Amino acid sequence: MHPIPARGRGLALYLGGWALIGTLLAALLGGSGGLSWLQSLAVALPLSLTYAFFCLSAWYVSRSMPLAATGVVRIVTTGVTAAVLSSGAWLALARGWMALVGRRAGFDTAGAFASVSTLIFGFGLLLYLLSLAVSYLLGSFEQSRETERRGLQVQVLAREAELRSLRAQIDPHFLFNSLHSISALTTSDPPAARRMCLLLADFLRDTLALGTADRITVGRELALAGRFLEIERVRFGSRLQVEVASDNADGCLVPPLLLQPIVENAVTHGVAHMLAGGTIRIAASRGAALLTIVVENPCDAERPRRTGTGLGLANVRARLRALHGDDARLSAEERDGVWRVQVSLPMDDSGAGIRDPGFGIRESGLGIAIKNQRQETSD
Amino acid sequence: MPDSPLRVLIVDDEPLARAVVREFLGAHPGVEVVAECGNGFDAVKAVSELSPDLMFLDVQMPKLSGFEVLELLGRDVPVIFTTAYDQYALRAFEVHAVDYLLKPFSEERFAEALSRARERLQSRDAQPIDALVSEVRSGQAPLERVLIRDGPQVHVLPVDRIDYVEAQDDYVAFKSEGKQYLKDQTLGAAEALLDPARFVRIHRSYLLNIERIARVELYAKDSRVAILRDGTRLPVSRAGYARLAKLL
Repeated sequence: MHPIPARGRGLALYLGGWALIGTLLAALLGGSGGLSWLQSLAVALPLSLTYAFFCLSAWYVSRSMPLAATGVVRIVTTGVTAAVLSSGAWLALARGWMALVGRRAGFDTAGAFASVSTLIFGFGLLLYLLSLAVSYLLGSFEQSRETERRGLQVQVLAREAELRSLRAQIDPHFLFNSLHSISALTTSDPPAARRMCLLLADFLRDTLALGTADRITVGRELALAGRFLEIERVRFGSRLQVEVASDNADGCLVPPLLLQPIVENAVTHGVAHMLAGGTIRIAASRGAALLTIVVENPCDAERPRRTGTGLGLANVRARLRALHGDDARLSAEERDGVWRVQVSLPMDDSGAGIRDPGFGIRESGLGIAIKNQRQETSD
Repeated sequence: MPDSPLRVLIVDDEPLARAVVREFLGAHPGVEVVAECGNGFDAVKAVSELSPDLMFLDVQMPKLSGFEVLELLGRDVPVIFTTAYDQYALRAFEVHAVDYLLKPFSEERFAEALSRARERLQSRDAQPIDALVSEVRSGQAPLERVLIRDGPQVHVLPVDRIDYVEAQDDYVAFKSEGKQYLKDQTLGAAEALLDPARFVRIHRSYLLNIERIARVELYAKDSRVAILRDGTRLPVSRAGYARLAKLL
């Protein structure tokens, strides 16, 4: 499609331009043809507006001969031929039109035409060649914009693919173990089995719903981690204790399920290996520029670190890098039998106003308490 | 034999998982649950004291994994593994587990495993496990810790705390911080399991942690002695010295 008529304003501007050219032509005709100002305007204006449409064809000529793939000789020959043909046709049209106008206005058509025909032909030739040049210019402009757009599109797609692959996924073994717990409870404690089903369903539903979002609030993220741990508590019983604290950070935004691999590790590589179990502590706090979330769990110092631990963390690290570059950090270290993972990322508290009733830590009835300390910051 | 009950040990760190096994066993007459254990240490102890006929064993447990429990017991207690992870199935097969139950499992599948165990007990053709565990181990990454069973007790010895290993008749002695731990193993087997970059066979009877060496002295013609940081003197054979020189 021709880029000028394709845009509504483009066509109006184009025709406006040609009306100006028509005025110029009228001035030239008036000077050399002995016509009055009004007469030459009546001749020139409709002629140039018609020629405007002739010149649109230059675009198609330019498209049929891309600069990069066509020799100069061919471009010049074809361009000049097209210009001669259009200008010739225009000249024929001008003759007929002048005869028409001349008859009505009563001036010597033949004489006037003879004196201006060279001018009209030359004018048409020049305008057509100019249109051709403009067409090439427009074409290369469109092409560079298209290339740029495609480049951007590729970038966006690549980043999306990367983020998708890094998106935290729920460990399926967690599901198998939970289902096994439900299987145990169905005979020994049917109401507890039902509650466990509901917990699991809630967790999965939230995971599906929030997992596809770009960002969720820390409050939701903590609630999600809390719910996961609530389910794990059904399996581990009193061996697993959980403390979740948010220091005024609930409204900050984080990528969804950022904590999931870290919390899963805290259970499978931490508390699960302790004979007496232990407490998993999750604390989020907002600083001036950074949001910091710390997950701590006791770990068996005598147990060699498994390679599996590294994979989950590497995934979180890669995800943070893809989103924030060097502005986000993840550190993990063991000290005095406590494994501590700290995530810091640029603070984004634009989610402060978001509230979603019905989502939060609900009392499960399984006797699981999640302490949620919300402190008011003093500064 | 058919009249005496099948004595079963249940090992799983999750109470609910143990409850499933107990409940499913309830449907089978002639089965007695002799004990339930929540970790590998207790399992080793219970097997020593109660010698059950069959063990239901979880793989992922605190302190000792199911495979480590099996390695420590080193004899034929028929085992049915119960786990949510399918990636251990091949290894379980290699250590001649009776069966491998993937959580969650059905009552029918459980009954199938149990009858398989009864068949195994009747034929009594199971192979000794200790050799097999070593076989399975080889080709894996070097050991990070050595497990030693001392009656009902289990010692977990991280390899960097081992000073040296000494062959003693049918056993090997792992020497660590002035103590020694005996394990029913050959020095060759211990050498194969430990990291060859850290432990070097300096003598027919000695495997040495190279980080413990203070110096090596010429003792007599063609005979050297390694002096450890704590002053212990160990003989170094000519071939052993060549191996040591290559590492240092």
